[in-house]
Parts: sequence; structure tokens; C-alpha cells
Amino acid sequence: MTWSDYLPAWPLQISPALWLALTLVVAVLLGEAMVRHLRLPRIVGYIGIGAVLGPGGLGLIPQLPVNEWRLVVDLALGILLFELGSKVNLRWLKANPWLAGTSLLEAITTFAVVFSVLVWVDVTSTAAAVVATIAIATSPAIIVRTVTESRAQGQVTDRLLLMTALNTIYAVIFHKLAVAVMHGQAGTSFVHTIFPPLYLLGGSALLAWWFGITFERIHHHLGQHEETFSFILFGMIAFATIMASTLRLSPILVLLAAGLITRYQRKHTRTFPPHFGSAGAVLVVLMFIANGLAADLRGLRDGFLLVLLLIVVRIIAKLLAVLPLATYSGIGWRQAISLGIALVPMSSVALLLTMDTAIDFPEFAFGLGMVLMSWIVILELVGPVLVQVALRRAGETPEKKT
Amino acid sequence: MSLMPFAPSRPLSIGVELELQLLGCNDYNLAPSAPEILRRVAKRTHPGEIKPEMTRSMIEINTSVQQEYAGLVTELRALRDVVSEAGCFLNVAVAGGGTHPFQHWSEQKIFDAPRFHYLSELYGYLAKQFTIFGQHVHIGCPGPDEALHLMHMLSRYIPHFIALSASSPFVQGHDTGFASARLNSVFSFPLSGRAPFVLRWNDFEKFFAKMAGTGVVESMKDFYWDIRPKPEFGTIEVRVCDTPLTVEIAASIACYIQAMSRYIMVEQRMAPEEDDYLVYTFNRFQACRFGLEGVFIDPRTHQQRSIREDIMEMLEHISDHARELRAVEAMERIREILIVGNGTSWQRRAYASEHNLADVMQLQAELWMGN
Repeated sequence: MTWSDYLPAWPLQISPALWLALTLVVAVLLGEAMVRHLRLPRIVGYIGIGAVLGPGGLGLIPQLPVNEWRLVVDLALGILLFELGSKVNLRWLKANPWLAGTSLLEAITTFAVVFSVLVWVDVTSTAAAVVATIAIATSPAIIVRTVTESRAQGQVTDRLLLMTALNTIYAVIFHKLAVAVMHGQAGTSFVHTIFPPLYLLGGSALLAWWFGITFERIHHHLGQHEETFSFILFGMIAFATIMASTLRLSPILVLLAAGLITRYQRKHTRTFPPHFGSAGAVLVVLMFIANGLAADLRGLRDGFLLVLLLIVVRIIAKLLAVLPLATYSGIGWRQAISLGIALVPMSSVALLLTMDTAIDFPEFAFGLGMVLMSWIVILELVGPVLVQVALRRAGETPEKKT
Repeated sequence: MSLMPFAPSRPLSIGVELELQLLGCNDYNLAPSAPEILRRVAKRTHPGEIKPEMTRSMIEINTSVQQEYAGLVTELRALRDVVSEAGCFLNVAVAGGGTHPFQHWSEQKIFDAPRFHYLSELYGYLAKQFTIFGQHVHIGCPGPDEALHLMHMLSRYIPHFIALSASSPFVQGHDTGFASARLNSVFSFPLSGRAPFVLRWNDFEKFFAKMAGTGVVESMKDFYWDIRPKPEFGTIEVRVCDTPLTVEIAASIACYIQAMSRYIMVEQRMAPEEDDYLVYTFNRFQACRFGLEGVFIDPRTHQQRSIREDIMEMLEHISDHARELRAVEAMERIREILIVGNGTSWQRRAYASEHNLADVMQLQAELWMGN
């Protein structure tokens, strides 16, 4: 028997997962500190710690295997998207058509403004269109997480959830179409240009519909025990997310649509624990850390002014677009301004769409992709603060204890 | 500060105020949407008034002065429809019921108006605990002395009104066992209870002047009595009812009080006695706790019977007056409540079948909004 039989070999072989576990602890502690001392949302801490310690920052956490990370991000995002969908009542659009109008106006304005700026700085119109579609989406992850954390409720919160769900759907659909056009220009045959978006959108819709039907059946038979049902739901979300990736559909679209469909069909109210229990909540925190780890600000070196310009025009576009129909739709100016500000965050959905585009078009990854990545990082860090301030100013967070 | 003179009003005219709950359509918890609802209904023409209340998840609808059931119920339906339409437009559900079954008082937000902020400062958490929903019924009186007479005579029947309208068994997520748990929140206010036994208006004015002199009260609004005179309207105001689950029941209970008032003024012609109040709090407690099954002790004969039986007998006494006031349909509805039960029994049945208070609230909102 020698030392080496029972003592660990030196230097220690540390698995990346250990760093990850440690990061989780540190990130949550940091998040808590931000709430207590700076009154900032916790997720800023989660994303921030990832960005500071990750490869883009101090490099203390080594690059983790992409596939494992992608699974965490997909699952957590799936949970948040389903949660978002299940909080949005589509029948409201029928009762208040001004909301649909506001949503369309907001999406079109955002697209048009971002597209124009990019064309103005000599980006090809197809690439500009791809980026502009990504810019339409408000981050469902940040919105759901911030609303849950701040326990906000009221008109601005309801509208924020609704408009985020809708603009995420627009973004995914039009992004796929814009990418199809890009493929067409790259010389892909007509059939292979047209078929992918059709397969992706049709297939995603079908999977979401199947999810919705199954969900209602299981709920009907299982009855009311909320915790049991959360476990099943968690499994179903994981299944649908992985199934969507396996079938090369859009997990974003599937889970969001599934949430909307179940809400639309529901006969009974349901209240689930946030993120369907603590497993979901841990995944959500890990996802924000992962987003931080993926933070890549290299785009700022060459494109600082462009990123700044894009951020500013997008904020102005979202803000101005919700104002004209605000009073018709039943809210005041103050509330409309809060809503416009709260629509600003960009995060996981934009990140995933950017990465998907980069896989297909490597030249995109090193050009506009870098700009987009920096843009997302900044709005990921600033976004939660904006949402929190907007909801507080709208008077929709609980009053301070006196 | 002295009391306003007692304004003239048409005898036995009626007016109803209902406090309503505003609910989010996802979880059916209370939603702070009163400012938007009020802004929306301000653009619509409607009879009566729609007003803010203490916290932002409540609003109040008031009818104009009405003479009989038909007019009253028509106006209440019109008000309900206007509020419901605004609710649909804003993704907010509207419901009756005396309490919200699972709201948390600390999450309520005070409506932004000076009086509500003042009350919130004064009463602290009681103000937010006061997120309860009542029906107030005004009865027109020919003069101030008659008003005091009617007030004291009606006090005997307070248990009837509580038991018929009771619709607040659930508080903070639990069945309290009470038919009307709402009134327990009212009792914690220092100036709740009953009016002093005073039969002449000038004596009442003296009482008020003394109270105002102590600095305890500034106006009649500071008294949270079960029944109180409202001199500026020339009415007395019965304030013990929970907001019922439908406007039809609200109108029927108002007309039951109206017919009973006619019986008291025209036929009964008995003088109130201070000793009538010996059984008052006992009877009232029985009504809050057990509803129609509660025990009722007659203050004069000391006979015991159930509140249901006492109402049954009262319906016999007042049937001619009800016919005279064209309130026969209203009396039929009261009889129906005696058979099928009040709002509280409906809510308990709904909970037994749904096992979920949010579902109960959804059904309650659907019932109130009439769809």
C-alpha cells in the first residue's frame, strides 16, 4: 500500500462541475447581497458573477462542455417560457383589441428602426433583417423571473407578460423566415430554403398542441394535488424541450405555445410554485449564470458606438410604440412609459437565436453576431433593473413596510 | 363641528351601495386595478355612481334613489354590466362576497386619495384588514325622529340581514366556521357597534356634539355602527350585510329591509326600549357564526327559535307591505334563500366540489358577472 492508493493525486484533478457548484453558491450569495444592500434584482448578481468569473472575464471558470450547458439553458428557458405562456390569457386580446394593436405596432417599430440603423451602417439587408427580428423579442426569462421575484401584479405586469409572449413568437417566426431568405441568397436550392421554416413552425405548433391536450387530460385525471402535478409538469416540460431539440424544432416556440394553449383551454385555475418547484428554480439560476459565462463583450472593441446606437434606438422604439394606443387600451401615460421601459431586456431567447444563426453562418458569428452578443450582455445586466424600476414606478410591486 | 340638519327624503325610498372585489384572471387573487376600472367606466354613461374604496382592489357601486324592486334591480344590473365590461377589457374579474378567501392583507395597496391615506395612518393594519366587502342599504325616512325610531326598531332584526346576506366563510385561506367572518373585522374598529339609545333628534345632536367635543369624531362617517342615520340623505343606513353573490340577491335583501321598515312605520307602532339591546350582541353573534341556523332570542318574549324561523314569520307579517311596495318577487327570492341557503352555503358547496379556493373565486366571479 502506498500513499497514492488512498490520497488524491497532486495536483488535484478538479472537474468543471465542482467550479460550477461553487459558482452557484457564490452567485446566490452575491444575488442576495444585491437585494439587501443595493436593492437590485438578484438575477443581475447571477449573470454578473458568471460574466466576471467566466472565460470572458477573469477566466476562473474554465469553458464548460457546450452540450451540457445547452441542456441546462434549454430546460430552464423551457420552464420560464411555459410559465410565461400559462400566465397569458389570449382571450384578453379579443376583449381588448387595442392590445393586439399595441403589440403589433411595438414589434414592427422595433424591427423597422433596428433594420434601418443597420442598413445605414452598410449591413446587407438580409443580415440586417435577421438581427432586427432578434431585436423584436423581449426576454421572457428576465420578465418572468423579475415579475416573480418582485411579486408585481396589475395592468402593466399583465400587459408586459402578454406583449413579451407575443413579441417572442413574432421574433422566432420572422427570424426563421429571415434566415431562410439568407439561405436562399447563399445559393441553397428553393426547396431547401422554403421547407425548413415550414417544418420548424408546423412541427413546433403540432408538438405544442399535443402538449396542451395531454396536459389537460393528465390534470383532469390527477385532480388537485399541486405538488404531484408540479413534478409531472416538470417532466413534461423537460420531455417537450428535449423532443423539440431532437426533432430540430424550436424549443422556444413549443414551450411558449404549449403554455398559451394550456392557459387558453383551462377550466380551472391553477397556481404552481414559481418555476414549478425548487428543481426548476435551481435550473433557472444556473441558466442565468450560464448566460453570464457566455457573456462576450469583444464586439464592443470595434463596434462600441454601433452597439450603443442600437440599444438607444431600440429603447426609443419600444417606448414610443406603446404610447399612441395606451389610453385607448385603458392605461395612463405613466403606466405606458413603465410598460415601454419594461419591454427593453434581451437575454436567452436572443442569445439562442444568435447562436443558431452563427452555427449556420460562421461569417455572421464574427461580424454582426459579435455586436449582437455585446448588445445582449448589456441588456441582460441592465434589463432586470429597468423592469424592476418600471414596475415599482407603476405602483405594482408590494408597498414598502411602514 | 355640529351635525348636519336632517334632509327631507321620500319615506321608504331605497338606495344600495355594494363594495366589490377586483380579481386577477390568472390566480383570482385580489388585483389592484381600481384606478384603471374607474378610468374606463368614467367614459361610459351609467346610472348611479361608481367610486373608489379603501384599497385598490375594491370599488363601490351606488344606485340612485329608488322606490321599488324593479327599478332597483334594473339599475344594479346596469351598474354590474358596466363594471363587468370594464373588467373584461382590463383582464380583471369582478365578484361579490364579503371577504376574499385567500388574499393577504399586507399585500393590499391603499387607494391614492387623502381620506384613505389618513385612515390608513390612523388605523394601521386594520385599514388593510378592512379589505372586506359589504352592502349598505339606505331607507328614506319622513323625519329625523322617525329615523331614530326606525333605526332602533330595525336593530332587533339585524340578525336577519346578516344571515340572509352572509357570504364570507373563508378568510386568509381557511374556513373560519363563521357564516359572516367579515363582521369580525368591523368589530375591531373602536367606534363600531350600535348607536346610543336616543329617540329624539335633538338628543342625538347633543350626543354628537359631546362626542365631537371630545375630539374622537369629526363626522358621522367616523361611526362604524351597524345602523346609522345619514342626515345629509335623510336616511338610515343598514351596514351589516355582506355583499351578496348576485345583484338580484342584493336588491331582494334591500327590499326585504324596505318592506320591514314599512311594517314598522305603518303597522307595528311599538316604541323601542333600551332593554331590547340586552340580546343584541348575542343575536348578532349567532347570525355571524351560524347564519340562518343561528339562535334568535326575542328581546321582549325571550322566546328562542332559529333565525330562519324568525325570518319566515317576518315574511308573513310583511307580505301585505311587500305587495304594496311591489316587492313580491324580492320576497320570493328571500324565501328561496331560506330553502337553498345563503352565499356562505353556496361558497362551502363550491369549495367541497372544487377543493380549491381560487376555483371558488372564479365561479363566484362568473356568478356575479352573470355569464
